[in-house]
Amino acid sequence: MKSLIKPEKNNLYGYSNWRYKAIFIITIGFLAILIIGFAALNFGTIAIQPQKILSIIWQHRTDDSLDLIIWELRIPRLIMAMLTGMALASVGGGFQGILRNPLADPYILGVSAGAALGACSAIALQYITGLYLVHILPIFALIGALISISLVYLLSRKKSHLPMADLLLAGVAVNFFFSAIITLLLAISRREIHSMVFWLMGDLSAASWQKVSFIFLPVFLGTLLLISSSLELNAMALGEEEALHLGVQTEKLRLRIFFIGSVMIAIVVSFTGLIGFVGLVIPHIARLLVGPDHRIMLPVSALAGSIFLIICDTIARSIIAPTEIPIGAITALVGAPIFIHLLKRRNETDEY
Amino acid sequence: MNIEHTPIISLKNVSFSYNQQLVLQEINLSLSPGKFIGIIGPNGSGKTTMLKLISGILTPQKGKIQIFNQDIRTIPRKKMAKIISMVPQESYITYNYKVKEVVFMGRIPYINQWKGETILDYQISRNAMEKTDSLRHAEKGIHQISGGEMQRVYIARALAQSPRILMLDEFASHLDLSYKYEIINILQEVLKGEVKCIISVFHDLNLASYCSDQLILLNQGKIEKIGTPQEVINNHTLKKVYRTKTNIIQHPELSIPQVIM
Repeated sequence: MKSLIKPEKNNLYGYSNWRYKAIFIITIGFLAILIIGFAALNFGTIAIQPQKILSIIWQHRTDDSLDLIIWELRIPRLIMAMLTGMALASVGGGFQGILRNPLADPYILGVSAGAALGACSAIALQYITGLYLVHILPIFALIGALISISLVYLLSRKKSHLPMADLLLAGVAVNFFFSAIITLLLAISRREIHSMVFWLMGDLSAASWQKVSFIFLPVFLGTLLLISSSLELNAMALGEEEALHLGVQTEKLRLRIFFIGSVMIAIVVSFTGLIGFVGLVIPHIARLLVGPDHRIMLPVSALAGSIFLIICDTIARSIIAPTEIPIGAITALVGAPIFIHLLKRRNETDEY
Repeated sequence: MNIEHTPIISLKNVSFSYNQQLVLQEINLSLSPGKFIGIIGPNGSGKTTMLKLISGILTPQKGKIQIFNQDIRTIPRKKMAKIISMVPQESYITYNYKVKEVVFMGRIPYINQWKGETILDYQISRNAMEKTDSLRHAEKGIHQISGGEMQRVYIARALAQSPRILMLDEFASHLDLSYKYEIINILQEVLKGEVKCIISVFHDLNLASYCSDQLILLNQGKIEKIGTPQEVINNHTLKKVYRTKTNIIQHPELSIPQVIM
């Protein structure tokens, strides 16, 4: 009888309004980024007091050396970490959705190996020719990444369609081939091996406002575009044919996600090197937290990726300062235990 | 012309080949509304291909397929999704969506990407779960329910799509007896509503005979026979198609043929 008295006004037939949920979660996420980001600014070779940081942010003075550290080093680096985390996690989530494969990550379609080969070639060339190439290294990496994306696309395309399995296999093949060349480069290198390895493990130390300005728009727009395909990605979870029956043009969707994701990742890794783990695991953490609905999961992934990378980068640059630890090592060291903990908790409660 | 006699689906000289191998040839067919249509035939006779052709997933190399007198090549995918929905034989859902979320996916063709869903979409999804008795699992994860329950969720999802034509691919192949009856009842109930026609592929001839008003018997890519179960299921035809001796008896309560070993 109770159900008869229930007010009908807010009756959503057992469903909840995802818009409110999304707005709520996104607000919380942005607040968390602000707070954690501010906290992260404290750390580094020189510890700066929070009050001092606030006053520096408030009254920007270029003649102060601390001001320089905050405005020219730490803040751009913070934003770089944030954008990189956002890109890796949302592309990882998008790829896992479109490929129907929980083991997919942003690098699965060959972007990483191409970018890495580009970057390592630039480093090798610098030592061979003596030219100073570090500042144009991202261009080499980007060209490498774009070459590998095009290769994967051309190898897997059949007439007018792009079969999923072929795409994955082409990605694996291109990855291995380029990685082999990188290994050869590493084997014949001497002095330059350190910078190559560091690049391969990810490095945010060279962040600058200029680099931030390059990746900001692609990452932001790309993430929004991925999120706008959420409903179709949900349909893909049912299977390719089911998605077709739901009116989703799966070929176009696959192509769209593939290109948006690959281009985003190509641009980002050109500046940051290969940061692993984030793109694979953050989407899973997001799913454990809010469920698999891409409309909520993708924004949460993006935000969680940002937060995660800010934390990892702060650890990487401050734990044995002034020496830096490659961020790729930290992401896995910090992330793996968190992930295992969440997985165990899920298995105990059996819900997500 | 009486609307009852206008075919909902018609196939004219439809041929389809896959990798140069002819799967269906010269199919001519017209299906009238209000009927439960069963497609039977040996393995590889083209049953599932026929469903995929009608739903536009595959395009025939020759011939023309019309739905409500419209050539399906001129119907956009999204509009097609509002006309035909499909219950798959088996499908694995990649991530552990809640049952209510899976059912809600049936509304995807109706949802405007920018405006989002409305309360009507929730209501229709809920109704679909009620009709299929899957409402009590609404909050459970799709990986947490049994195969029989899952099948009902798939039907709910297909119904949430508000289709005019409902297609099923061997919906009962791995269900036990009680679930079979239950689902048949649900389907017959559905046929009284907005759904104008149900087309199902069957492996089990007895189930096909039990469910269908009309049977289409396929053999090596051609239609061997179309008609009521009485007309199609007989020793002569079955021997020709399945190449084995069969024994056919009449159902003790219903006047339908049943095949026994």
